[in-house]
Amino acid sequence: MHNIKETFIQNMGDKIHDSIDKKLRLYFEVDNQNLHEVVDYLFKELGCRLSTATAMEVYRGLEVLYHFSHDDSGQYFCPRVVMTNKDNPAMPSIAPLVKGAEWIEREMAEYWGITFEGHPRPEPLLTKEHPKGEGLDQPFRIRRMS
Amino acid sequence: MSRNVVPVGPYHPLLEEAEYFTLTVDGETVTDIDLDIGWMHRGHELISERKSFTQSIYLVERICGICSTSHPLACVHAIEDVDNIEIPERAAYIRTLIGELERIHSHLLWLGLAGHFIGYDTLWMWAWKYREPVLQMIEIISGNRNHYGMMRVGGVAKDVDPASVPELRKQLDTIDSKMDMIAKAAKDDPVLKSRLKGVGVLTKQDAIDFCAVGPTSRASGVRGDVRKDEPNDAYGLVDFDEIVTENGDVYDKLVVRVLETIESTRICRQCLDKLENINGPVLNNVKEIGIGEGIGRYEAPRGEVFHYVRTDGTNRPIRHKVRAPSYVNIPTFEASCKGIPIADALITLASVDPCYCCTERSIKINHAGGDSPGINLLQLSRAKTERIRRTIHG
Repeated sequence: MHNIKETFIQNMGDKIHDSIDKKLRLYFEVDNQNLHEVVDYLFKELGCRLSTATAMEVYRGLEVLYHFSHDDSGQYFCPRVVMTNKDNPAMPSIAPLVKGAEWIEREMAEYWGITFEGHPRPEPLLTKEHPKGEGLDQPFRIRRMS
Repeated sequence: MSRNVVPVGPYHPLLEEAEYFTLTVDGETVTDIDLDIGWMHRGHELISERKSFTQSIYLVERICGICSTSHPLACVHAIEDVDNIEIPERAAYIRTLIGELERIHSHLLWLGLAGHFIGYDTLWMWAWKYREPVLQMIEIISGNRNHYGMMRVGGVAKDVDPASVPELRKQLDTIDSKMDMIAKAAKDDPVLKSRLKGVGVLTKQDAIDFCAVGPTSRASGVRGDVRKDEPNDAYGLVDFDEIVTENGDVYDKLVVRVLETIESTRICRQCLDKLENINGPVLNNVKEIGIGEGIGRYEAPRGEVFHYVRTDGTNRPIRHKVRAPSYVNIPTFEASCKGIPIADALITLASVDPCYCCTERSIKINHAGGDSPGINLLQLSRAKTERIRRTIHG
């Protein structure tokens, strides 16, 4: 059951850092330049499924945490990307690699003001018909902080 | 051939909840579909961050009326995952029993709706009639027919009264016999088979690409069931089969759900056996949750419900992420609806058992504007079934 975790670390260990290893969970940080390689390995080589992604505010800025499930073993791999530029947070989109990431990245973009570079359909998911100019069309994160 | 756009929603008699689909139709063939969600204001994730862990469990129970124990289960799994909290064995069986009863009533609800959409109102009435004993069982266990309020971090809120087990068995026997009848009707009916075979196919590769879950992906040959993959609660202690079929059409989705219902009654029976023989507490005293992060998931009737919590040592989460199965299953319409006749659009949309109140946990502002009512998809769907019935039965 734990072989899949070891296999991942053997192959991608030099691309990740700040790992937290728990039973059936591996959280780790990935730099922008390595994100596609790590995601490609998880999705195509290991056959992981993207459950979802979580955006949140952290001390250093904004964080996006992807949750990949390896269903055959019950193991979760969670790549973490931290954006320190709070005024203009941006990171590469993984939607070109994982179609299942399209909706959640669109949602994070509109609620957290994150630009997902290379997203195939960068338009709002939940606030497409939102009236403009009434204050509520700003990213959710900004409203929350104000 | 004319090319038309058929709007379905956002408020439409076919949709129990507010959603908006735009079907592009060339002649009678659907050539494209655009999905527009965001018609409900929920805000559960943010509200949860202002509640204690125990209050959050009650809150997420209100995300969905049908999956009303799947969200609390995934939520307590996530909180327990932060500190690797164990639960008593008796509590594990009670959790599993409630979860499986929910699966039975959810699948029967879907089966009834599917029957109604294609003009099989007898199937609809049977399925909903025999869903009633399940709700009665849940009422015996929890005191409520829905929103059971049973889940707690470290176990369950109340024990199952041993004196009620014979009555629970009696109700389960009723469900078993009726499920055999419904399964036979659903699987052996030539009209139903002709109507649903090959309709709205989601290929295995599409199911993988869209990261689909639950019966939607299992009907396409993609295995994956949280109850097998990460057997929380009593799922590692009971015997059951994961149902996987290969064709990915609406008929296979129906078969998966019918067979899963029968498996669920097997699990319930094993849980009742254990509850008669195992004594002990049903709740461990959990005084505090440490600093960390936890992932919790549960195999809801529609597929994996996912919860993530991050904690800072206080009594509430600093981030609570919720992802319901419909959120990843609804986008598969892009693959399964293209190229199908318009008469099959309704049952294809219904085949993933979409739940919008689950999908939308966040904020949306309504817009003013009218949409044309579109064409009557229900009428088209039922008319096609009638044509097949006449062809087969004369």
